[in-house]
Amino acid sequence: MASVTYDQATRVYPGQERPAVDALNLEVADGEFLVLVGPSGCGKSTSLRMLAGLEDVNSGRILIGDRDVTDVQPKDRDIAMVFQNYALYPHMSVADNMGFALKIAGTPKAQIRERVEEAAKILDLTEYLDRKPKALSGGQRQRVAMGRAIVRQPQVFLMDEPLSNLDAKLRVQTRTQIASLQRRLGVTTVYVTHDQTEALTMGDRIAVLKDGLLQQVGTPREMYDTPANVFVAGFIGSPAMNLGSFAVADGKANLGDTHIPLTRTTIDALTEEDKGEITLGFRPESLDVATEGEEGAFAINVNLVEELGSDAFVYGQLAAREVAEHVTSGAGEAQLIARVDPRRPPMKGDKIWVKVRAGEAHVFSSATGLRLPA
Amino acid sequence: MTATDASDAVAAAVGPRRRRLPSRGSRRRRLSFDYVSFMLVFLGLPLAIFLIFVIWPFIQAVFYSMTDWTGFTAEFNVIGLGNFEKLINDPIFMRAMGNSIKIAIVVPLVTIVIALTFATLITVGGSSRGQIRGIRNSSFYRVVSFFPYVIPAIVIALIWRQMFDPSAGLLNGILTGLGFDQFESYAWLGKVSTALPVTMFVIIWGAVGFYMLLFIAAIKGVPAETLEAARIDGAGRFRSAVSIVIPLIRDNVQTAFIYLGIMALDAFVFVQALNPSGGPDNSTLVMSQQLFRTAFTQGQFGYASAMGVVLAIITLLFAALVFIINWATGGRDEGGRA
Repeated sequence: MASVTYDQATRVYPGQERPAVDALNLEVADGEFLVLVGPSGCGKSTSLRMLAGLEDVNSGRILIGDRDVTDVQPKDRDIAMVFQNYALYPHMSVADNMGFALKIAGTPKAQIRERVEEAAKILDLTEYLDRKPKALSGGQRQRVAMGRAIVRQPQVFLMDEPLSNLDAKLRVQTRTQIASLQRRLGVTTVYVTHDQTEALTMGDRIAVLKDGLLQQVGTPREMYDTPANVFVAGFIGSPAMNLGSFAVADGKANLGDTHIPLTRTTIDALTEEDKGEITLGFRPESLDVATEGEEGAFAINVNLVEELGSDAFVYGQLAAREVAEHVTSGAGEAQLIARVDPRRPPMKGDKIWVKVRAGEAHVFSSATGLRLPA
Repeated sequence: MTATDASDAVAAAVGPRRRRLPSRGSRRRRLSFDYVSFMLVFLGLPLAIFLIFVIWPFIQAVFYSMTDWTGFTAEFNVIGLGNFEKLINDPIFMRAMGNSIKIAIVVPLVTIVIALTFATLITVGGSSRGQIRGIRNSSFYRVVSFFPYVIPAIVIALIWRQMFDPSAGLLNGILTGLGFDQFESYAWLGKVSTALPVTMFVIIWGAVGFYMLLFIAAIKGVPAETLEAARIDGAGRFRSAVSIVIPLIRDNVQTAFIYLGIMALDAFVFVQALNPSGGPDNSTLVMSQQLFRTAFTQGQFGYASAMGVVLAIITLLFAALVFIINWATGGRDEGGRA
């Protein structure tokens, strides 16, 4: 067991100006499950591969425990990795796949057998030990890849989108299995995914990356409740947070006929660069259905209603057409999402009035994108 | 009543068979012009060419091997297996066969070991840290090592014959220059002990580049993730090559073995150019060379055909042996590259 530390770790691919991972500082505590999440090309896989030793570190250091492993070969780092495509050895049986690392390490045969069988029991693979990977289903292969990592009893588990090749149902199942297995084994784990739901459900802490830069690290709750900037706000949460750019005047955020009151601290935190504008974020569940004329209420033209049984989500646009494009859902298109009472959903084409529940709006500087005090 | 109806009626009469194959009648193709012309052009034509130009000459050769045909007259007598009996008691041919077999054992083995080593170095032999890559400047080595294959075999053989020349050759020049005076006028191709090994060396030199390229292509087909997984599992470069790379490209190795074996059992161009007379004490004489001599110099086409038949049988046995060895060592359930 050991902690993992990235100390200003940077990776620049040959022939590229911009670093794929830019001065990453990150600490993973002993036994912690940390999820690296971000859109594709954000450097999350590169960060993981740097930790594995499969990618060079151009500057900075990487430590496992107190040991500087920056220049250590992958085979000497005492880590185990689960790959997206599982990377099983096709010419070996399941048992040989799982025992390969121990065989190389020169572990006695009986002990290998024992540890492989133990891992197989945990993962429900006992009856498949003599099969070749090609005779297994996707989910079973995934479990063999997990088994190969467990058998090693390494200091750190690295997982590179291990669930992305599974179908939706199996993914949800395996998600909980991996999370509970990790808690049981207590092995420090770094897990890469592009799926923010996976990140929220599995991680002790989440690190969000974008363009090689670390945006925010925190517990799932922190990430959801207090996103540090506009990007994290739009990325974490499903459906995504609504983000709108508002003009500040009279202590209020104004967009068309909508006026949302701001606190004194928020207005004081605004600077010259913001040019009298502010970015307001509000989650779909922070919207209450209101009536016309209420203070802070705005009208939405309903384009689509998504009924999930427990919830119903309204997808629409601001009724004030000239400003409708100022409100987007996450980083996406100009639309607004609101959660409504699933027993009394509006119809497509309706016009409904909603207002942001007091204290649930997130405010960000429009110049820097950083969170402002509310 | 159409033909299909008629056959249906017959099938109905047969009863149980029809029940077992219910869709048979409906799936039968009609002999439309489209179907017939397609079959003629894409199946009939190639098959006819194959039969006329491949199978029939085989049969002819086997037939002539049982005659005393000289090749230059129209007359011959069928003498049964007489030619084969003569072959077994022909010390020169047995010598040639022995040499051919020696070449067929050494050349494929050495070529494949060298080609695999180079291919591994060039593709996955680089630093054990960072991405999977070959040694430095590997693309340069790859191009350079392919050069020999671009040169025609006859030219290779003639170049090396000049190199091995006892008095004017480059090799002896270098060796004496380095102070090994015993090589002053050493006849590499003229001594029984060195003629055959030197010949094998030239064949290997000419073949390594191509097989290296073949293995490089095969190794590039192994997913990088698999090699990375091995690396994280603790496998060094050598271990990865032996435990992961080679098992995953064994089909290619088998194919290379058979190709090389066939080439080595022939080897005509090389031996003929290096030692047209068959070498000292026939030490580099091979079957194809003796066959050529018997047919065109000695005018015994019947006898030469018998040699050809023996050569063909040995080649087939070689291929069968490679398949059996591959099968027996666990190659039978490979191929699943998940």
